[in-house]
Amino acid sequence: MENVGALSLLLAFSVAIFALFSSIVGAWRKNLFLVAASQRAVYLVWLLITTASGLLLYGLIEGDYRLQYVALHANKAMPLMYKITAWWGGQEGSLLFWSWILSCYGAVVVFTNRKQYKTLMPWVIAVLMSTQIFFLILNNFVVPPFQVWAIGKGIIALPDGQGLNPLLQTPSMAIHPPMLYLGYVGFIVPFAFAIASLITKQPGDEWIHTTRRWTLVTWLFQSAGITLGMGWAYYVLGWGGYWAWDPVENASVLPWITATAFLHSVMMQEKKGMMKVWNMVLVSSTFFLCIFGTMLTRSGLVQSVHAFGISSIGNYFATFLAIGISATIWLILDRLDFLKSESHLESVVSRESSFLFNNLVLLASCFAVLWGTLFPVISEAVTGEKISVDAPFFNKVNIPIGLFLLFLTGVGPLVAWRRSSTESLKRNFLWPTISMFALMAGLFGAGIRNEYALLSFGLCLFVTVTILSEFVKGSMAIASKEGMNPLMATIELTHRNTRRYGGYLVHMGIVVMFIGFTGAAFNKDVIHEASLGQSFNIGRYELKVTDLKDGENDNHAWMKASVDVFVNGEKIDTLNPERRIYKASRQPASEVAIRRRLGEDLFLNFAAMATQGQGAVIQAYVFPLVGWIWVGFMGVLIGTLICLVPSKHKLSFPRTEVLATATGVVKGNQHAKA
Amino acid sequence: MRKLKTVLLFGLLIGVSIAQNPMDFLSPEIKRVGMKLACLCGSCRNSVGDCTMIACGYAFPARQKIKQLQTMGASDQNIAGRFVKEQGKKALIEPETTGFGLLGWLMPGFAIALGLIALGVYIKRFRAPMPAPALPVPSEQLAEYEVTAAKQLDGMEK
Repeated sequence: MENVGALSLLLAFSVAIFALFSSIVGAWRKNLFLVAASQRAVYLVWLLITTASGLLLYGLIEGDYRLQYVALHANKAMPLMYKITAWWGGQEGSLLFWSWILSCYGAVVVFTNRKQYKTLMPWVIAVLMSTQIFFLILNNFVVPPFQVWAIGKGIIALPDGQGLNPLLQTPSMAIHPPMLYLGYVGFIVPFAFAIASLITKQPGDEWIHTTRRWTLVTWLFQSAGITLGMGWAYYVLGWGGYWAWDPVENASVLPWITATAFLHSVMMQEKKGMMKVWNMVLVSSTFFLCIFGTMLTRSGLVQSVHAFGISSIGNYFATFLAIGISATIWLILDRLDFLKSESHLESVVSRESSFLFNNLVLLASCFAVLWGTLFPVISEAVTGEKISVDAPFFNKVNIPIGLFLLFLTGVGPLVAWRRSSTESLKRNFLWPTISMFALMAGLFGAGIRNEYALLSFGLCLFVTVTILSEFVKGSMAIASKEGMNPLMATIELTHRNTRRYGGYLVHMGIVVMFIGFTGAAFNKDVIHEASLGQSFNIGRYELKVTDLKDGENDNHAWMKASVDVFVNGEKIDTLNPERRIYKASRQPASEVAIRRRLGEDLFLNFAAMATQGQGAVIQAYVFPLVGWIWVGFMGVLIGTLICLVPSKHKLSFPRTEVLATATGVVKGNQHAKA
Repeated sequence: MRKLKTVLLFGLLIGVSIAQNPMDFLSPEIKRVGMKLACLCGSCRNSVGDCTMIACGYAFPARQKIKQLQTMGASDQNIAGRFVKEQGKKALIEPETTGFGLLGWLMPGFAIALGLIALGVYIKRFRAPMPAPALPVPSEQLAEYEVTAAKQLDGMEK
């Protein structure tokens, strides 16, 4: 079995090289036979990597402990779901998973575009296959997943495996990495089309129209992956932190930020023919940040709880990045003439400017995160001494940037394309601004003194009023014109321009998530050693440990505390936090108990047994508004899905036409071209 | 044999639990100092003051040391200095505002300033020229333009 798996990967490597060269030579010599052969080769690469992946998965499920990877990441007692999860639980398997997703994307791209973009597609295949070859080099020669245990020349099988890291044995960890990988890998598609359009000197809007849905879907996958990761950290690590500014967490958010910037700035290119170079830079940065993030997770370059450990793999990634970035920069510089702006910015007070500021702030945030992540490495390289950069640094730098971004989210819809008059600004800003200050005054009166929290809540209302007014104005107009009820009119409005109103829903989701983040300013925590029957308080809750139980199954042994929850003397719930020790790895883990409510979560961790007598040490936390983060993500999800639905009316974006100049009347956009 | 294994496992679970009581050495005074120090256990990104990791081999001894130093009358700054002397600057949770650490704080602001300058240059370069004094346009041509403009404006905000 291991031989077939290894051979499949080796063949995939050879076929990918063939696909690369046949697509390039085919495009160069306009040889359709070679181009067609490269397309078939992409399907074959997918088939071969799927075969290898299937064999590894079979080994994990069936417990083939002759394979080192299986023995190190699975065991007999693990449930089936976690045996499958073990595919991406270790370095070798997860890189094979990366390769497999890439090959899937490659096959889908080639299949869906088999009858269109004849000049672009060979180069798209070339970019896809270059990346595929890089990952197949890793799969075949650096971290092969099909190595076996051997003594001398004899292959041996271990009786059982070590099992998956207990922290990874949770449902969210079964979904989080695939989502994140679908996001990471998917950004190669818009990048491949962008590069193909540069090579073929057609850097117009074609590649953007082609890849808009890909970018949105990929962005959604990555958003889902990041949020699931947050949910995992919140639930599994035992202290309720959903974001710790860990380098690997940061690595996942960096391409997400640049992709978000791209999704906004791409509208400038579609509507005005502007920012073409910038869009190329953003789509390339997003792809290379994905590769950089993968390197960060796997190379041991930075210390992280999520990393795979130190390995020499970082050198391969660094080489790939150096070659890829250099080639991309050269290509963009060489094609600058084809990337000229088609129109001008008519006013600083315009929607166009708000997009520029949005991009600036997003990129500033991206840089701040990247800088903070790499600063320990830089400081060690320059001064010989490592300087720690942890959450306080990131919070101090990124909270103001995030709040400014939230402000821009509200401002964007209030300013018109091209130019906004002072009168319209006054009219549009009046109610959102009044609402914002009224809420801030009210919250201040209610005793909230945290300035960031006040500002954040105020801005959240500012953006909400802005978005609601957009929906109300539009749907009222439709309701009166078409005689519909307000709900139907709102649906009709959204259907007429799904991209715009879906985008507003995404913004609303982000606002709701910000409300959840702001709740962290009011977190409470208590650690208490409680004997059986003894009570302690946190916030409005009284907690009483009533029982301790223990038990075991094939996978782990457990101790469970029963904690009754009282509010104003009335029992409202019983929570059962648990401590486990996994048999195969001898590693302890917590299974926290959470009472989830939209207002606040009560979060209990069974930290330890009491030092004296029967009892437990309970870590109790109250996390206000944390549930809003998950609800907000649902808004992002629904909004993005709406964006993907075609609008009822096909949109056209007329470019600016200059009617007259000082020297005379000019027809069309000759001025802009001049 | 199986029973013995189970007994040993529970012994381990209880032993691990009791040995790592996170209540140890976490008074508000210790937490105050601990919040300035990074937990260097390698498994988390917490501070010594708020690390609640099970089996944390760094935060607990660090808290113990903070308690000892506080008993001896050391100030918060002296305690942090003592950790820096022993572990290096990585013992602090964030860069100092002096020396190379200052660069860490300044660079994001510098990048934003650079971005604003770039934005200014972009706006200056791509801003449309100021409207020229009106020139007489033949009325039939103006009417043609108005029709085109009306069509485009109708299409834009659909």
